[in-house]
Amino acid sequence: MARFFRRRKFCRFTAEGVTEIDYKDLDTLKGYITETGKIVPSRITGTKARYQRQLATAIKRARYVALLPYTDSHQ
Amino acid sequence: MRHYEIVFLVHPNQSEQVPAMVDRYTKLIEEAEGKIHRLEDWGRRHLAYPINKIHKAHYVLMNVECAQETLDELTNIFRYNDAVIRNMVVRRKDAVTEVSPIKAAEGREERRPRREERSEKPAEAPAETAEAPAADEAAAE
Repeated sequence: MARFFRRRKFCRFTAEGVTEIDYKDLDTLKGYITETGKIVPSRITGTKARYQRQLATAIKRARYVALLPYTDSHQ
Repeated sequence: MRHYEIVFLVHPNQSEQVPAMVDRYTKLIEEAEGKIHRLEDWGRRHLAYPINKIHKAHYVLMNVECAQETLDELTNIFRYNDAVIRNMVVRRKDAVTEVSPIKAAEGREERRPRREERSEKPAEAPAETAEAPAADEAAAE
């Protein structure tokens, strides 16, 4: 009985045919980090492996230039 | 010649120097027969986390096409310039000229807050006035 209907996961980047994930596109990147600033695993988001790799580098670049936080406990 | 994307963060107290710095770097690149494809000044932005106890920084984005030596010179300048608190160089496959999402968001944000205020106020006011007399009547009865 616990098997309720769950919305099917899909990869947003595949659906939109994105060629490259930009580290400056904060609105998109913010959807793939948790409140604590971690990168959300693809098994949760359903992102395809190819895009998950791009996403990870994009988030890491954004973190380096202080556009995104590494963690929620900065100072 | 390769395409690079450069982002550098300038100390907020040295913000006035940014146009002069950008001028110097563009001259340096153009003298070495490089090209500037995109130049964006994001202005002073809040940092996601403090760097050297600084909470704000002036961001500049440059998409350039230049030789390795020129880039080395540029990164060397960044390193010995105390005003530059951080810099990042990313290699790109080709020239990028369209407006970056951050610059685009900046333009949108300038207009957005005003529109929200306007749409909220008229919606709330009539609802309150309509409810208030009804409540008074109920109390009187």
